[in-house]
Amino acid sequence: MGFLWYLTIRIGGALATVAVGSFLIFLIMKLAPGDPALAVLGESATPETIAAYHKEFGLDEPILVQFGIWAKMVLQGDLGKSIALAGKFPIKDLLATRLPITLFIGMYGLVIAVVISLIAGTAAALRHGKLTDTVATSIAVLGISMPDFWFSYVLILAFALSLDWFPSYGFTAPGESWIGAFHSGFLPALAIAAPMAGVFARILRASLLETARREYVTAARSYGFAAPFVFVHYVFRNAVIPFVTVLGLQVRYLLGGVVIIERVFGISGMGSLMVDAAFARDYPVVQACALTFLVGVLFVNLLVDIVCALLDPRRTR
Amino acid sequence: MTMHDSNGVGRRSFLKGAAAAGGMAVVTGPMLSRVALGQTRGGTLRAALLGFGVVNTLDPQKAGLNSDFFVLNTMFNTLVKFDGNMKIVPDLAESWTNPNPTTYEFKLRKGVKFHDGNEMTSDDVKFTIERVAAEATKSPNRAKFTVIDKIETPDKYTVRFITKQPFVPLLSFFTNTTTGAQIISRKALEKMGDEAFAKAPVGTGAFKFKEWKPGEKIGFVAHKEYFEKGLPYLDAVDIPLIPEEPSGITAILGGQIDIASTAPFADVPKLQQDPNITVSKTPGLNFRFVALNIQKPPFDDVHFRRALSLATNREAIVAAALFGEGSPMWGATPPAISWAFEKKPRELCVFNPERAKAELAKSKYKAGTEASVITWGSSWWKRWTEIFVAQVNQVLGVKFTIEVTEANTAFSRFRANDIQAETTGWIARVEADEYVPECFRTGGPRNFNQYSNPEVDKLVDASRVEFDQAKRGELLKKAEDLVVEDMPCIFTMNNNAHNMWTKKVKGFVPLPSQSFGNQFPPVSLG
Repeated sequence: MGFLWYLTIRIGGALATVAVGSFLIFLIMKLAPGDPALAVLGESATPETIAAYHKEFGLDEPILVQFGIWAKMVLQGDLGKSIALAGKFPIKDLLATRLPITLFIGMYGLVIAVVISLIAGTAAALRHGKLTDTVATSIAVLGISMPDFWFSYVLILAFALSLDWFPSYGFTAPGESWIGAFHSGFLPALAIAAPMAGVFARILRASLLETARREYVTAARSYGFAAPFVFVHYVFRNAVIPFVTVLGLQVRYLLGGVVIIERVFGISGMGSLMVDAAFARDYPVVQACALTFLVGVLFVNLLVDIVCALLDPRRTR
Repeated sequence: MTMHDSNGVGRRSFLKGAAAAGGMAVVTGPMLSRVALGQTRGGTLRAALLGFGVVNTLDPQKAGLNSDFFVLNTMFNTLVKFDGNMKIVPDLAESWTNPNPTTYEFKLRKGVKFHDGNEMTSDDVKFTIERVAAEATKSPNRAKFTVIDKIETPDKYTVRFITKQPFVPLLSFFTNTTTGAQIISRKALEKMGDEAFAKAPVGTGAFKFKEWKPGEKIGFVAHKEYFEKGLPYLDAVDIPLIPEEPSGITAILGGQIDIASTAPFADVPKLQQDPNITVSKTPGLNFRFVALNIQKPPFDDVHFRRALSLATNREAIVAAALFGEGSPMWGATPPAISWAFEKKPRELCVFNPERAKAELAKSKYKAGTEASVITWGSSWWKRWTEIFVAQVNQVLGVKFTIEVTEANTAFSRFRANDIQAETTGWIARVEADEYVPECFRTGGPRNFNQYSNPEVDKLVDASRVEFDQAKRGELLKKAEDLVVEDMPCIFTMNNNAHNMWTKKVKGFVPLPSQSFGNQFPPVSLG
């Protein structure tokens, strides 16, 4: 019962966050200068055509009324239509093509990051203070500090233009070909993974070292348990909890922060959709993307809490 | 200045020669050139729209963005069109005359088929132009056609436009430009309705609509019944949108695209050395300037404005901001519109620090005057603004600062004259009337800072009824002389227009407007 109550509270809080968040984003977008009419009608726009455009999309209504109309529509399950980005395309169709692509690239990058960081972080911790540690830690710092657009172009220059192993631009959606998606998505996934892997490896290393100094680990060793057994059952399992927490927090980066990488590699994902929409003042598209991000992040955070709770040895023993 | 690389010139003069020798341009021209260039059939051309993330509509009469028209011209034809030398040549109309100063009469090609199989007739032309001019359509280009009083269709292949008063620029607005005069199928529109048509339009172009993935790409397939026999060579065209210019470079170098709508200024010299890439270069149809709010201090003083212009070293800006890919300007009309372009630099637009200081001495504003110059976050715009501000601050001792924002905000504020100063510009305008007259005539549609000079207005009005192009050019130049004296903005520069393509691409002829959609019918891949 305690866990269910906890879950109810958490979901209620998440819904409230979505409502408040949506309103704030709506308000900020509307208060910013600029006009979707100009993004649509271009240089030749006349005051009359701009006024007609505002009327057509209800942009001449007071801000609160506009938000009310939008919220009512969303509660009825309709995200509306694009007003400036892609002439009146239903937004749910835009999201339906963009979201799976972002999820694919994000998960691909996350898996690469986790694999690299598990190996590097564990190796660095086990060989603490030795050359392996120095090398792994230095690479991690490099991964964190490289600007992602720069690293992306380095990857393209090396692996696409010089070695010709991967395409230099463009992405094959998983819907068209899974092999194509894994192949064309490798460099962008690696570019996404690099900074995450750096963060993860350092967190894991620190956490492993800290846990190894705990009294219960010393106790386990004193019982005469083999070192690998102690590491797996006492050190690693406890040390991995902060690692999973940080992993969950990085999902924000996966959803929204990969805009640059999407642009550089020509991937039509959610990040570039939201940026294009913001520049064109396509309010309903920005709102829909923000809503998706909010729900996504809150859902993953919830998931992380549950996973951490399950990982806690005290819970499962 | 190099107008074109040697390949471009060679190919173009050859095509002309072939057409002249054949004497039967329509049918034999492409056939001859195909044989001579060894062009092959088939394949999909991947033609990237570089620097654009948005195509908003595929309905020509509702479109307003340059990116919209880049794509539209692939699927549509216009009555007449501009060729690579900025000459108006036949497209859907075989010939045209002005029986009197208020009448344009076009004789249409016979047997032109829309993508839906219907024949294109004078009724479709009338319907299209009436549609763009109708208030209900809400076209951003409506004002270009409101001079038309009525449209007559005496037979299936004749269209007559009767204007309220003589208006010479009208012919240019019927071309392959951004005015929304692309001829649509009346039957298709009436059957589909506006919203469906805007997502899958029906034209007469060499390629017909296949698919549109918003923000990603638009795909076309060859129109088998295209009116130029034997064309197009290609089976299909894909137009991917690549918003980041450096990614356009990696895409073309890696073979992911075949041709691009532009080339980043900084990369042009290096690309020209690449044996696999051709970069075309021509003075562009654009006008870059520092807009000034002449209604408010400190830019309400003509001497202060002249001082700023004289303190601006345009060559330095072209060299550093455009990497030499452009030329200084001393007026609004770009060099590509050669008949209206003043070739002699106007003194007030030539860097002269001593004279600048003398003008400042006559001004009511002195050294130390503060003002903010708006720009937006794209690299060369910002660099231009930084150099301009540094120059005037150094020469005149004024204290100008920069305010960086993003494009939509900058444009909104410029339109509303909610600025002190802003680096801005107009691009892809094919008609001389879209420069001095539209920007500086009293009440002009893009005269946002309400500049007004009755003498300029008189000259502009006279130019609009002058059918002799040379005389019209002289009138526009005189008007421009007066505008430059008043200096309602700092005329700064014109940038080159580029297209780049790989060696596989044959038969492509670039336009100064860079709008490549029209130019695909004679293109082949190998």
